[in-house]
Amino acid sequence: MAPLIYSALIISLGLGTTMTFASTHWYLAWMGIEINTLAIIPLMAQNHIPRAIEATTKYFFVQATASATLLFAGISNAFLTGQWDITYTPYTLTSTLITLALAMKIGLAPLHSWMPEVMQGLNLLTGLILSTWQKLAPLYLIYQIQPNNPNIFIALGLMSIIVGGWGGFNQVQLRKILAYSSIAHLGWMILILSFSPPLALLTIIIYILMTFSLFSSFMLTRTTHINSLSTTWAKIPILTISTPLILLSLGGLPPLAGFMPKWMILQELTKQSLCPLATMAALSSLFSLYFYLRLSYAMTLTMPPNNPAGTLPWRLNPQHNTLPLALTTTSTICLLPMTPAIMSLMPF
Amino acid sequence: MLKILIPSILLLPSTWLTPQKYLWTTTLSYSLLIASASLMWLATPSETGWSFLNCLMASDPISTPLLVLTCWLLPLMVLASQNHLMLEPINRQRTFISLLISLQIFLILAFSATELIMFYIMFEATLIPTLIIITRWGNQMERLNAGTYFLFYTLAGSLPLLIALLLLQNSTGTLSFFTIPYLPSTCSTPWAHKMWWTACLLAFLIKMPLYGAHLWLPKAHVEAPIAGSMILAAVLLKLGGYGMMRILIILDPLTKELSYPFIILALWGVIMTGSICLRQTDLKALIAYSSVSHMGLVAAGILIQTPWAFTGALILMIAHGLTSSALFCLANTNYERTHSRTMILARGLQTLLPLTAVWWFIATLANLALPPLPNLMGELMIITSLFNWSMWTLILTGLGTLITAGYSLYMFLMTQHGQLPHHLISLNPPHSREHLLLTLHLMPLLLLILKPELIWGWNA
Repeated sequence: MAPLIYSALIISLGLGTTMTFASTHWYLAWMGIEINTLAIIPLMAQNHIPRAIEATTKYFFVQATASATLLFAGISNAFLTGQWDITYTPYTLTSTLITLALAMKIGLAPLHSWMPEVMQGLNLLTGLILSTWQKLAPLYLIYQIQPNNPNIFIALGLMSIIVGGWGGFNQVQLRKILAYSSIAHLGWMILILSFSPPLALLTIIIYILMTFSLFSSFMLTRTTHINSLSTTWAKIPILTISTPLILLSLGGLPPLAGFMPKWMILQELTKQSLCPLATMAALSSLFSLYFYLRLSYAMTLTMPPNNPAGTLPWRLNPQHNTLPLALTTTSTICLLPMTPAIMSLMPF
Repeated sequence: MLKILIPSILLLPSTWLTPQKYLWTTTLSYSLLIASASLMWLATPSETGWSFLNCLMASDPISTPLLVLTCWLLPLMVLASQNHLMLEPINRQRTFISLLISLQIFLILAFSATELIMFYIMFEATLIPTLIIITRWGNQMERLNAGTYFLFYTLAGSLPLLIALLLLQNSTGTLSFFTIPYLPSTCSTPWAHKMWWTACLLAFLIKMPLYGAHLWLPKAHVEAPIAGSMILAAVLLKLGGYGMMRILIILDPLTKELSYPFIILALWGVIMTGSICLRQTDLKALIAYSSVSHMGLVAAGILIQTPWAFTGALILMIAHGLTSSALFCLANTNYERTHSRTMILARGLQTLLPLTAVWWFIATLANLALPPLPNLMGELMIITSLFNWSMWTLILTGLGTLITAGYSLYMFLMTQHGQLPHHLISLNPPHSREHLLLTLHLMPLLLLILKPELIWGWNA
């Protein structure tokens, strides 16, 4: 893509999210989200292959529906309460509608069906932007509406954790697996959003670190299918050690950093006396651990001389700058002992 | 405490920086040095029970024998793995040894943890190196299934444990071992209290393993390489026992009613798994089921919570750790020579390998709890305290002892006595390394006859 257009799109992406962050009026919030959507559409379609165009079209339809619903809900709220402040949503009707519209925007269950299809059609970098940057603005808005009834969040969250785990079970395409992983992690964030927004912030930061390192590892070896993971040992051997650790961290295993958000969220849930919910959420996250484990089996644990499972592709020189990957991988693996420091930084 | 932990952590860089020629020598000698230094923990004169304290780590008479066993096992694992790793690239040898060392670090931190969440995190942390050892260096295709069973059985039990611990922390404000025994018991609705009780114990019962949730163990033990089998049998199962001992203090008084099904299941498991052993064709599976059998006795002993039972459980844990690990090493000597675990393919070995037959004899006698070995002391104390708790358990435990003797003798007679099969015309003689390995396993067991107070726990 031409550099000027590319930079214009990236700047627009940043502009959209920043506008939503800075807004207190429904129109401005909605405008920021629309700018985000419109900026990423050309990025998704840059490949000009039919699959990418299909993904772009699906994404556009879903996001347009969600934005229209969001605008409608904002206007209804203004009609009912007489003012446009996004923090003042006392009526259940409007706050539920806003929540569902934003849930559709980020791909929470049961409004998640578009996510794996769209992710599959994108290249890995755009998929990374979709699963990390595009979630920030809607999550911020969900926090801002300050719902007094946490039931819908609990329902959305628990369903997302279960769907995100169960849906990824028989996937072999890596991008679809990453989409389901995104759904599951967003479920954890939404679950805790009404009880402790700083913990949701912690979850999304740790999730961005982990996803970034995983996407970067896949970008480095240009793998998009489980079968092509099995030749990583020949291309970049160090990835065969770091990627399973990143995957297990995504699954939430101690002593890796991915355990930190789950631990803190479970602690908050038990403080709110929601133990059965906490148990269900914790056990549902074992589903996603299963397919992360399967990925690490394919990549590392069946390495030759035991069982070579794939044919060797062309080995090209890696062209990416690996510094971000190194930094994010290190934090994904080693950040758990920093939990007290991180928790003290969270505003409570 | 740090005198042992920091050298263990620094074993990791030394593994990676040692030249290839000296890798195994270096790791073996340094880990032996750390193991001998760890014997200092056995001198625990403190009256409060806790010694070698700092804010985060401490050792008391229950954790000390397990800590020393952990540190003792690392040189043994290095010694045992040397042969089958010799043909691999050097970096993979280093990775394997690093996994063993990281297991030791996590285990030291787990056994010396003074806070329950620290214990939990280290308990879970031991899963990852063990998983990698089993699924990467195991030898058969079934190892992937074994790794999945291992990980998911343990996690399904330990996630409720995490929630139970967080609940406890919310109601009592602390989870430190120093203060937990003195806290008032947390009572809520009867149903919630029962659920919380189960959640606290389930993870440890699955880890022990209890008979109904034991399916992961034969898979994991059989598919693991020798170092994996050793660490699993000797220490990782004892993590479950140790966790149960620590957490039962706070679970009173509900334990008196709720522990019944688990005690029955454990004792029934002793008999069932013993009977399975009598019909096994796979040598490693036999030893694995024998582990389940012994651990069932330990679980029953811990759950009745009397002083003799705790002492017996601790002694049996240590003795079984050494014995089981020795048996796995012996099975591995067979495996390295015939590349098969089937027992009928390697019979009559007393003719071919008479020196190894001596070790088989001693290990078998230890497994069937011959006096005066500590195995008998542990079993006898558990059986006696179970009899005191209810006299009907004598039927189950007596039958269990009989079946244990039966399958241990079956294993010995099958592998050692009788005629050599026709296809075995020559096997490599035992290496000095293998003799050293078995000496280092069985000598502490024999020496413990002379001073069993070291592994008695609180009744010292």
